[in-house]
Amino acid sequence: MTSPLQEDLESRFKDVEVRALEQNRVSVLVPSGSIPLILRYLKDNGRDHLALISCVDWIEQGEFEVVYVLTSYMPNDTEHGPGQRLHVLLKTRIPREDPQLKSAIAVFDNAEPYERELHELYGVNFEGHPRLIPLFLEREYEIPPFRKDFDMRKYVEETFGSIPSVDG
Amino acid sequence: MDRNQITKWLKSPAKMANKYSLHAVYFCTGCGIIEIPPVITSRWDAERFGVLPVATPRQGNLFMITGYVSLKTLRAIIRTYEQMPDPKYTVGFGSCPINGGMYWDSYNTIKHLDKYIPVDGWIAGCMPRPEAVFIGVTHLWTLIDKGKADGYVRYKKNYAAYRRNQELILGKIDWPPLYP
Repeated sequence: MTSPLQEDLESRFKDVEVRALEQNRVSVLVPSGSIPLILRYLKDNGRDHLALISCVDWIEQGEFEVVYVLTSYMPNDTEHGPGQRLHVLLKTRIPREDPQLKSAIAVFDNAEPYERELHELYGVNFEGHPRLIPLFLEREYEIPPFRKDFDMRKYVEETFGSIPSVDG
Repeated sequence: MDRNQITKWLKSPAKMANKYSLHAVYFCTGCGIIEIPPVITSRWDAERFGVLPVATPRQGNLFMITGYVSLKTLRAIIRTYEQMPDPKYTVGFGSCPINGGMYWDSYNTIKHLDKYIPVDGWIAGCMPRPEAVFIGVTHLWTLIDKGKADGYVRYKKNYAAYRRNQELILGKIDWPPLYP
Protein backbone atom coordinates (compact mmCIF):
# COMPACT_ATOMS: atom_id res chain seq x y z
CA MET A 1 0.00 0.00 0.00
CA THR A 2 1.59 3.26 -1.06
CA SER A 3 0.10 6.50 0.14
CA PRO A 4 0.24 9.71 -1.90
CA LEU A 5 2.63 11.14 0.68
CA GLN A 6 5.05 8.26 0.17
CA GLU A 7 5.15 8.66 -3.62
CA ASP A 8 5.49 12.38 -3.22
CA LEU A 9 8.43 12.20 -0.81
CA GLU A 10 10.23 9.43 -2.66
CA SER A 11 10.02 11.26 -5.96
CA ARG A 12 11.22 14.57 -4.53
CA PHE A 13 13.99 13.55 -2.12
CA LYS A 14 16.54 10.79 -2.31
CA ASP A 15 17.32 8.20 0.41
CA VAL A 16 13.87 8.61 1.91
CA GLU A 17 12.42 5.52 3.54
CA VAL A 18 8.66 5.75 4.17
CA ARG A 19 6.89 3.18 6.29
CA ALA A 20 3.20 3.13 7.23
CA LEU A 21 2.94 2.27 10.92
CA GLU A 22 -0.79 2.42 11.43
CA GLN A 23 -3.73 3.70 9.51
CA ASN A 24 -2.95 7.37 10.11
CA ARG A 25 0.68 7.21 11.19
CA VAL A 26 3.65 7.29 8.85
CA SER A 27 7.32 6.96 9.70
CA VAL A 28 9.79 8.69 7.39
CA LEU A 29 13.53 8.00 7.75
CA VAL A 30 15.69 10.61 6.05
CA PRO A 31 19.39 11.54 6.02
CA SER A 32 20.21 14.22 8.56
CA GLY A 33 21.32 16.82 6.01
CA SER A 34 17.92 17.12 4.37
CA ILE A 35 15.92 17.70 7.58
CA PRO A 36 15.24 21.44 7.08
CA LEU A 37 14.26 20.91 3.44
CA ILE A 38 11.84 18.10 4.19
CA LEU A 39 10.40 19.95 7.20
CA ARG A 40 9.77 22.95 4.97
CA TYR A 41 8.20 20.76 2.32
CA LEU A 42 5.93 18.99 4.83
CA LYS A 43 4.93 22.28 6.42
CA ASP A 44 3.93 23.72 3.07
CA ASN A 45 1.88 20.60 2.35
CA GLY A 46 -0.47 20.47 5.29
CA ARG A 47 1.76 19.20 8.14
CA ASP A 48 1.83 22.61 9.82
CA HIS A 49 2.09 21.57 13.48
CA LEU A 50 5.37 20.44 15.03
CA ALA A 51 4.10 18.57 18.06
CA LEU A 52 7.39 17.35 19.47
CA ILE A 53 11.05 16.73 18.84
CA SER A 54 12.30 13.63 20.59
CA CYS A 55 15.46 11.60 20.66
CA VAL A 56 16.34 7.92 21.08
CA ASP A 57 19.78 6.76 22.15
CA TRP A 58 20.76 3.59 20.20
CA ILE A 59 23.98 3.00 22.09
CA GLU A 60 24.90 -0.33 20.44
CA GLN A 61 24.72 1.22 17.01
CA GLY A 62 26.46 4.39 18.18
CA GLU A 63 23.67 6.60 16.90
CA PHE A 64 21.01 9.01 18.07
CA GLU A 65 17.65 8.90 16.38
CA VAL A 66 16.00 12.32 16.40
CA VAL A 67 12.26 12.17 15.83
CA TYR A 68 10.14 15.09 14.67
CA VAL A 69 6.42 14.51 15.24
CA LEU A 70 4.43 16.46 12.70
CA THR A 71 0.71 16.71 12.31
CA SER A 72 -1.82 19.22 11.06
CA TYR A 73 -3.94 21.63 13.04
CA MET A 74 -7.02 21.05 10.91
CA PRO A 75 -8.18 17.51 10.09
CA ASN A 76 -7.87 16.70 6.42
CA ASP A 77 -10.90 14.76 5.23
CA THR A 78 -9.60 13.97 1.78
CA GLU A 79 -6.63 11.86 2.84
CA HIS A 80 -8.27 9.59 5.38
CA GLY A 81 -11.53 9.04 7.10
CA PRO A 82 -13.44 12.07 8.35
CA GLY A 83 -11.79 13.94 11.18
CA GLN A 84 -8.53 12.02 11.08
CA ARG A 85 -5.16 13.63 11.07
CA LEU A 86 -2.10 12.09 9.48
CA HIS A 87 0.82 11.96 11.89
CA VAL A 88 4.24 12.03 10.29
CA LEU A 89 7.17 10.78 12.36
CA LEU A 90 10.19 12.24 10.64
CA LYS A 91 13.26 10.35 11.83
CA THR A 92 16.93 10.85 11.23
CA ARG A 93 20.06 9.15 12.48
CA ILE A 94 23.11 11.10 13.64
CA PRO A 95 26.40 9.75 15.06
CA ARG A 96 26.62 9.56 18.83
CA GLU A 97 30.20 10.81 18.97
CA ASP A 98 29.59 14.15 17.29
CA PRO A 99 25.83 14.80 17.25
CA GLN A 100 25.29 17.77 14.95
CA LEU A 101 22.02 18.71 13.36
CA LYS A 102 20.70 21.77 11.57
CA SER A 103 18.23 23.74 13.67
CA ALA A 104 14.57 23.66 12.63
CA ILE A 105 13.75 27.09 14.05
CA ALA A 106 13.73 28.68 10.61
CA VAL A 107 10.82 26.43 9.67
CA PHE A 108 9.01 25.95 12.99
CA ASP A 109 9.45 28.66 15.64
CA ASN A 110 8.30 26.35 18.40
CA ALA A 111 11.29 24.07 17.83
CA GLU A 112 13.32 26.39 20.07
CA PRO A 113 12.55 24.85 23.51
CA TYR A 114 12.56 21.29 22.12
CA GLU A 115 16.03 21.74 20.71
CA ARG A 116 17.27 23.28 23.94
CA GLU A 117 15.84 20.30 25.80
CA LEU A 118 17.60 17.79 23.54
CA HIS A 119 20.79 19.79 23.85
CA GLU A 120 20.82 19.58 27.64
CA LEU A 121 19.47 16.03 28.02
CA TYR A 122 21.28 14.31 25.12
CA GLY A 123 24.01 16.74 24.13
CA VAL A 124 22.77 17.11 20.55
CA ASN A 125 24.22 20.26 19.03
CA PHE A 126 21.82 22.26 16.87
CA GLU A 127 23.59 24.48 14.38
CA GLY A 128 21.99 27.87 14.03
CA HIS A 129 20.12 27.81 17.34
CA PRO A 130 20.30 31.32 18.84
CA ARG A 131 20.65 30.29 22.50
CA LEU A 132 21.52 26.74 23.44
CA ILE A 133 21.38 27.32 27.21
CA PRO A 134 19.95 24.86 29.77
CA LEU A 135 16.19 24.66 29.91
CA PHE A 136 15.43 22.67 33.08
CA LEU A 137 18.66 21.59 34.70
CA GLU A 138 20.57 23.49 37.35
CA ARG A 139 23.77 21.50 37.66
CA GLU A 140 26.54 20.72 35.21
CA TYR A 141 26.59 17.08 34.13
CA GLU A 142 29.68 15.41 32.68
CA ILE A 143 27.53 13.19 30.46
CA PRO A 144 24.10 14.51 29.48
CA PRO A 145 21.73 12.65 31.81
CA PHE A 146 19.43 11.01 29.26
CA ARG A 147 22.24 9.21 27.46
CA LYS A 148 22.34 5.48 28.07
CA ASP A 149 25.90 5.56 29.39
CA PHE A 150 24.99 8.03 32.15
CA ASP A 151 25.16 5.96 35.34
CA MET A 152 22.25 7.43 37.23
CA ARG A 153 22.59 5.36 40.42
CA LYS A 154 26.27 6.21 40.77
CA TYR A 155 25.60 9.89 40.09
CA VAL A 156 22.78 10.03 42.66
CA GLU A 157 24.90 8.28 45.27
CA GLU A 158 27.85 10.57 44.69
CA THR A 159 25.86 13.80 44.49
CA PHE A 160 22.94 13.49 46.85
CA GLY A 161 24.38 10.75 49.06
CA SER A 162 27.44 12.83 49.89
CA ILE A 163 25.43 15.66 51.46
CA PRO A 164 25.78 15.33 55.24
CA SER A 165 22.78 15.49 57.56
CA VAL A 166 22.38 18.51 59.80
CA ASP A 167 22.28 17.50 63.47
CA GLY A 168 20.77 19.40 66.36
CA MET B 1 -13.25 28.49 72.91
CA ASP B 2 -12.42 25.33 74.74
CA ARG B 3 -12.70 25.99 78.51
CA ASN B 4 -10.00 23.44 79.26
CA GLN B 5 -7.50 25.61 77.46
CA ILE B 6 -8.10 28.80 79.44
CA THR B 7 -5.02 28.24 81.59
CA LYS B 8 -2.92 27.80 78.48
CA TRP B 9 -4.29 31.01 77.03
CA LEU B 10 -3.50 32.92 80.20
CA LYS B 11 -0.05 31.42 80.45
CA SER B 12 1.20 32.11 76.94
CA PRO B 13 -1.35 33.98 74.84
CA ALA B 14 1.09 34.64 72.00
CA LYS B 15 1.85 30.97 71.53
CA MET B 16 -1.84 30.05 71.57
CA ALA B 17 -2.75 32.76 69.10
CA ASN B 18 0.08 31.68 66.88
CA LYS B 19 -0.99 28.08 67.03
CA TYR B 20 -4.56 28.76 65.94
CA SER B 21 -3.71 31.07 63.08
CA LEU B 22 -1.51 29.04 60.78
CA HIS B 23 -1.17 30.84 57.48
CA ALA B 24 0.05 28.49 54.80
CA VAL B 25 2.17 29.89 52.00
CA TYR B 26 0.49 29.00 48.75
CA PHE B 27 3.58 27.44 47.26
CA CYS B 28 3.03 24.66 44.75
CA THR B 29 5.55 21.86 44.35
CA GLY B 30 5.02 18.61 42.54
CA CYS B 31 1.76 16.71 42.48
CA GLY B 32 0.73 17.14 46.14
CA ILE B 33 -0.61 20.61 45.57
CA ILE B 34 -3.62 19.02 43.89
CA GLU B 35 -4.79 17.99 47.38
CA ILE B 36 -4.62 21.52 48.74
CA PRO B 37 -7.55 23.21 46.89
CA PRO B 38 -10.11 20.76 48.38
CA VAL B 39 -8.43 21.17 51.77
CA ILE B 40 -8.82 24.94 51.84
CA THR B 41 -12.21 25.17 50.14
CA SER B 42 -15.66 24.16 51.32
CA ARG B 43 -15.32 20.39 51.05
CA TRP B 44 -12.82 20.06 53.90
CA ASP B 45 -12.54 23.71 54.90
CA ALA B 46 -9.15 24.16 56.53
CA GLU B 47 -10.35 27.37 58.17
CA ARG B 48 -12.02 25.22 60.83
CA PHE B 49 -8.46 24.55 61.97
CA GLY B 50 -7.34 28.11 61.53
CA VAL B 51 -5.33 27.33 58.40
CA LEU B 52 -5.58 29.86 55.62
CA PRO B 53 -3.57 30.16 52.43
CA VAL B 54 -1.75 33.44 51.93
CA ALA B 55 -0.29 34.90 48.82
CA THR B 56 3.19 35.90 49.87
CA PRO B 57 5.79 34.31 52.16
CA ARG B 58 6.04 37.50 54.19
CA GLN B 59 2.49 36.91 55.49
CA GLY B 60 2.76 33.20 56.16
CA ASN B 61 4.05 31.00 58.94
CA LEU B 62 3.25 27.50 57.67
CA PHE B 63 5.22 26.17 54.73
CA MET B 64 4.03 22.93 53.19
CA ILE B 65 6.33 21.26 50.67
CA THR B 66 3.80 19.28 48.70
CA GLY B 67 5.84 17.02 46.47
CA TYR B 68 9.13 16.18 44.86
CA VAL B 69 11.73 18.93 45.01
CA SER B 70 13.86 19.45 41.95
CA LEU B 71 16.99 21.56 42.23
CA LYS B 72 15.33 24.56 40.64
CA THR B 73 12.45 24.27 43.12
CA LEU B 74 14.86 23.92 46.02
CA ARG B 75 16.32 27.30 45.15
CA ALA B 76 12.82 28.83 45.27
CA ILE B 77 11.99 26.97 48.50
CA ILE B 78 15.06 28.33 50.28
CA ARG B 79 14.30 31.88 49.12
CA THR B 80 10.68 31.55 50.23
CA TYR B 81 11.57 30.03 53.57
CA GLU B 82 14.09 32.73 54.37
CA GLN B 83 11.55 35.45 53.65
CA MET B 84 8.97 34.12 56.10
CA PRO B 85 8.82 35.83 59.51
CA ASP B 86 9.53 33.90 62.71
CA PRO B 87 7.99 31.75 64.10
CA LYS B 88 7.59 29.58 61.03
CA TYR B 89 6.79 25.91 60.64
CA THR B 90 7.68 23.59 57.78
CA VAL B 91 5.76 20.43 56.96
CA GLY B 92 6.83 17.94 54.31
CA PHE B 93 3.76 16.57 52.56
CA GLY B 94 3.95 13.25 50.71
CA SER B 95 6.76 10.77 50.50
CA CYS B 96 8.99 12.64 48.05
CA PRO B 97 10.31 15.36 50.40
CA ILE B 98 10.92 12.69 53.07
CA ASN B 99 13.31 10.46 51.13
CA GLY B 100 12.82 11.06 47.44
CA GLY B 101 9.96 8.58 47.13
CA MET B 102 9.69 7.28 43.60
CA TYR B 103 12.32 9.84 42.53
CA TRP B 104 15.06 8.13 44.53
CA ASP B 105 17.08 7.44 41.38
CA SER B 106 16.40 10.78 39.74
CA TYR B 107 19.36 12.86 38.67
CA ASN B 108 17.71 16.21 39.37
CA THR B 109 15.58 15.68 42.49
CA ILE B 110 16.83 16.09 46.03
CA LYS B 111 16.21 13.14 48.32
CA HIS B 112 16.11 14.52 51.87
CA LEU B 113 14.55 17.93 52.28
CA ASP B 114 15.71 18.24 55.90
CA LYS B 115 19.33 18.45 54.78
CA TYR B 116 18.63 21.85 53.23
CA ILE B 117 15.94 23.46 55.38
CA PRO B 118 14.67 22.41 58.83
CA VAL B 119 11.41 20.46 58.80
CA ASP B 120 9.08 20.28 61.78
CA GLY B 121 6.85 17.43 60.69
CA TRP B 122 6.08 15.02 57.92
CA ILE B 123 2.83 13.80 56.42
CA ALA B 124 3.68 10.49 54.79
CA GLY B 125 1.80 8.95 51.91
CA CYS B 126 1.53 9.11 48.17
CA MET B 127 -0.79 10.97 48.13
CA PRO B 128 -1.93 11.77 51.67
CA ARG B 129 -5.68 12.31 51.91
CA PRO B 130 -6.91 15.79 52.87
CA GLU B 131 -7.80 14.39 56.29
CA ALA B 132 -4.10 13.68 56.77
CA VAL B 133 -3.41 17.40 56.46
CA PHE B 134 -5.67 18.03 59.48
CA ILE B 135 -4.04 15.23 61.46
CA GLY B 136 -0.74 16.88 60.59
CA VAL B 137 -2.05 20.27 61.73
CA THR B 138 -3.27 18.91 65.07
CA HIS B 139 0.09 17.19 65.58
CA LEU B 140 1.76 20.50 64.80
CA TRP B 141 -0.39 22.12 67.53
CA THR B 142 0.90 19.56 70.01
CA LEU B 143 4.46 20.24 68.93
CA ILE B 144 3.97 24.00 69.28
CA ASP B 145 2.48 23.45 72.76
CA LYS B 146 5.48 21.47 73.85
CA GLY B 147 7.89 23.88 72.20
CA LYS B 148 9.21 21.18 69.87
CA ALA B 149 8.28 22.85 66.59
CA ASP B 150 11.54 24.75 66.66
CA GLY B 151 12.70 24.50 63.06
CA TYR B 152 13.33 28.22 62.75
CA VAL B 153 15.45 28.12 65.91
CA ARG B 154 17.46 25.21 64.58
CA TYR B 155 17.88 27.03 61.26
CA LYS B 156 19.40 29.98 63.04
CA LYS B 157 21.57 27.78 65.24
CA ASN B 158 22.89 25.53 62.46
CA TYR B 159 22.76 28.06 59.67
CA ALA B 160 26.35 27.46 58.63
CA ALA B 161 25.67 23.75 58.07
CA TYR B 162 22.45 24.38 56.18
CA ARG B 163 24.05 26.99 53.98
CA ARG B 164 26.99 24.66 53.30
CA ASN B 165 24.60 21.91 52.16
CA GLN B 166 22.66 24.35 50.00
CA GLU B 167 25.85 25.50 48.33
CA LEU B 168 27.05 21.92 47.87
CA ILE B 169 24.00 21.00 45.86
CA LEU B 170 23.12 24.27 44.14
CA GLY B 171 26.58 25.60 43.47
CA LYS B 172 26.70 29.35 43.70
CA ILE B 173 23.80 30.95 45.60
CA ASP B 174 23.14 34.47 44.43
CA TRP B 175 21.79 35.95 47.65
CA PRO B 176 23.68 36.81 50.83
CA PRO B 177 23.50 34.59 53.95
CA LEU B 178 20.43 35.19 56.12
CA TYR B 179 22.43 35.00 59.36
CA PRO B 180 25.94 36.13 58.50
